[in-house]
Amino acid sequence: MTATKKSSKTQLTVGGRALQVTNLDKVLWPRDGYTKGDLIAYYRAVAKWLLPHMQGRPLTLERYPNGIDEAGWWEKHIPRGLPDWIPTVKTAASTRHEQIEFMIGNDEATLAYVANLAAVVLHVWYSREPTLDVPDFILIDLDPHAGCTLATLARVALAARDELASVGVTPLVKTTGGSGLHVVVPLEPRYDWDQAKGFAELIARRIHDVQPDHTTLDRTIARRPKGTVYLDYVQVGKGKTYVAPFSVRARDGAPVSMPIAWSEVEAMRRKRTKTTAPEMTRWNIGNVPQLLAKDGDCWAEGWRPYRLEPVIAAARSLWS
Amino acid sequence: MAHAIWSGAINFGLVTIPVKLFTAVRTNDLRFNFLHKKDDGRIFNERHCTVCDEKVEYADLVRGYEYEKGHYVTLGDDDFKSVLPEATQSVDIVEFVELDQINPMYFDTPYYLEPEKKGRHAYALLRESLREANKVGIARVVIRSREHLAALKPNGEALVLELMHFADELVEQSDFDFPELKEKVAPAELKVAKMLIDSMSSESFEPEKFHDDYREAVMAMIEARVAGEEVSTPETKRPAATNVVNLMDVLQRSLEQTKRGGVSARPKAVPAAKPAAKKAASAAKPKRKKSAA
Repeated sequence: MTATKKSSKTQLTVGGRALQVTNLDKVLWPRDGYTKGDLIAYYRAVAKWLLPHMQGRPLTLERYPNGIDEAGWWEKHIPRGLPDWIPTVKTAASTRHEQIEFMIGNDEATLAYVANLAAVVLHVWYSREPTLDVPDFILIDLDPHAGCTLATLARVALAARDELASVGVTPLVKTTGGSGLHVVVPLEPRYDWDQAKGFAELIARRIHDVQPDHTTLDRTIARRPKGTVYLDYVQVGKGKTYVAPFSVRARDGAPVSMPIAWSEVEAMRRKRTKTTAPEMTRWNIGNVPQLLAKDGDCWAEGWRPYRLEPVIAAARSLWS
Repeated sequence: MAHAIWSGAINFGLVTIPVKLFTAVRTNDLRFNFLHKKDDGRIFNERHCTVCDEKVEYADLVRGYEYEKGHYVTLGDDDFKSVLPEATQSVDIVEFVELDQINPMYFDTPYYLEPEKKGRHAYALLRESLREANKVGIARVVIRSREHLAALKPNGEALVLELMHFADELVEQSDFDFPELKEKVAPAELKVAKMLIDSMSSESFEPEKFHDDYREAVMAMIEARVAGEEVSTPETKRPAATNVVNLMDVLQRSLEQTKRGGVSARPKAVPAAKPAAKKAASAAKPKRKKSAA
């Protein structure tokens, strides 16, 4: 790879839009050698499967223009010089915040544009335009605490799946690309944030009830028992975000937050790895485009919005 | 693998054991930078002279020792260099004493000594002889241009070099007002006090039990902010009651209200459902706008 020190500019045409990209040879993952050019190519390659998860959702970027070893930052407000063909929405994240103008990623050209800004990680809202006040899914973050093995994490995720199955829900699961898993339940867009949060909390507490030794609900990191999975249900809310499926992470190996089949989680349950993160790097910038081209997005058909009423009714008879 | 402070040797009599010196304590202190509230700008300090009222460069500074109010003796870098102890990079043992002879208040900071390949056998021999004799070596050692008094002690598989304070550095007990040794304490009182101590006694000391709670709380807050979460006031300690039933009640009520009124209301708290309802209620923002049903 020829590395010219001068800022190198290239013209790209993506989906009919003209885009100038720079410093394609800049290495962003020092130990793996992935460059900004690789990042742009990756997001373009997975656009077809990523964009449906981003449509209409306010986007927050996690940028690392100097590589993952240097400090990066979260950027909610649109950057200066945003092309006029990228839609935006002005909203307040909560009643306490001022209005921020967010961009929305609806096409491949936008992905190329943000990747050119070295936006390694893409975070999106739980709701979509024009109904930003209405969540369309909930998420439980399974966050392994120190000493938690891969088998324990998988066991907890499978418990989540089984409990939800008992009330008629088939949840979706993805790796975070870090060390944990996200369990997601799509909702019909007719509930408010409190109801969504209440539902997420209900699921988390139920999982804790059935797996008390392997889970913790303690928000204070210091108090969590070693080897447990922290069940985080407070990530759902207006203005809160989650790592978009297929987003890359700013970690060694350039891992991707990958939607996976429950059979993969069952396989993790049988593995003997002491920690969880190494397994998660199996899905990364280097192989995800090919995996998607071959098998597609396993969330695509699984994304069935649920009505809460029958689920709660079933839960009342089974979980009391 | 940590970086050694120096490579040298333990010396006494005719014995030389080549070793490397390492710090044994890594402080956990959180480091912060000062930033300007308005724009998060980094702050740097300027050196300002009180006589000429101007900014001064670091190179134009000299150290002054105030020997009398307002009177200084100045010392430059060359002056300090001239007194520098020979950087011998060795632990020179001058005598051996029993460990109990040394008041623990003298001990300051521990360092590890790791033997070089050639010195491994002699190192192990010294360590075991000290352990059997229950003695420690008193030594002089130079670390980073300063000379220290230190004790060489066996500790598990290691020989630890524990830096000590010099005698004149310890504050005398006579400077304080402690109850005298000959003050009377009744045997009965002593017995009761000892029973209290026994009831709170632990079989063994497990330092891992103790955490730097304050530091961990600060780190948790920092991590929450990094993850984009809002940091609210710390939650009051709640019992780990998993009130799934109450949560379901609250949710069901909320869903029914939505169905009826077409406007989602804040879940009403039910007296029996205190812990969960408190959570759901506090999650609702005080000023709620209407939202789509």
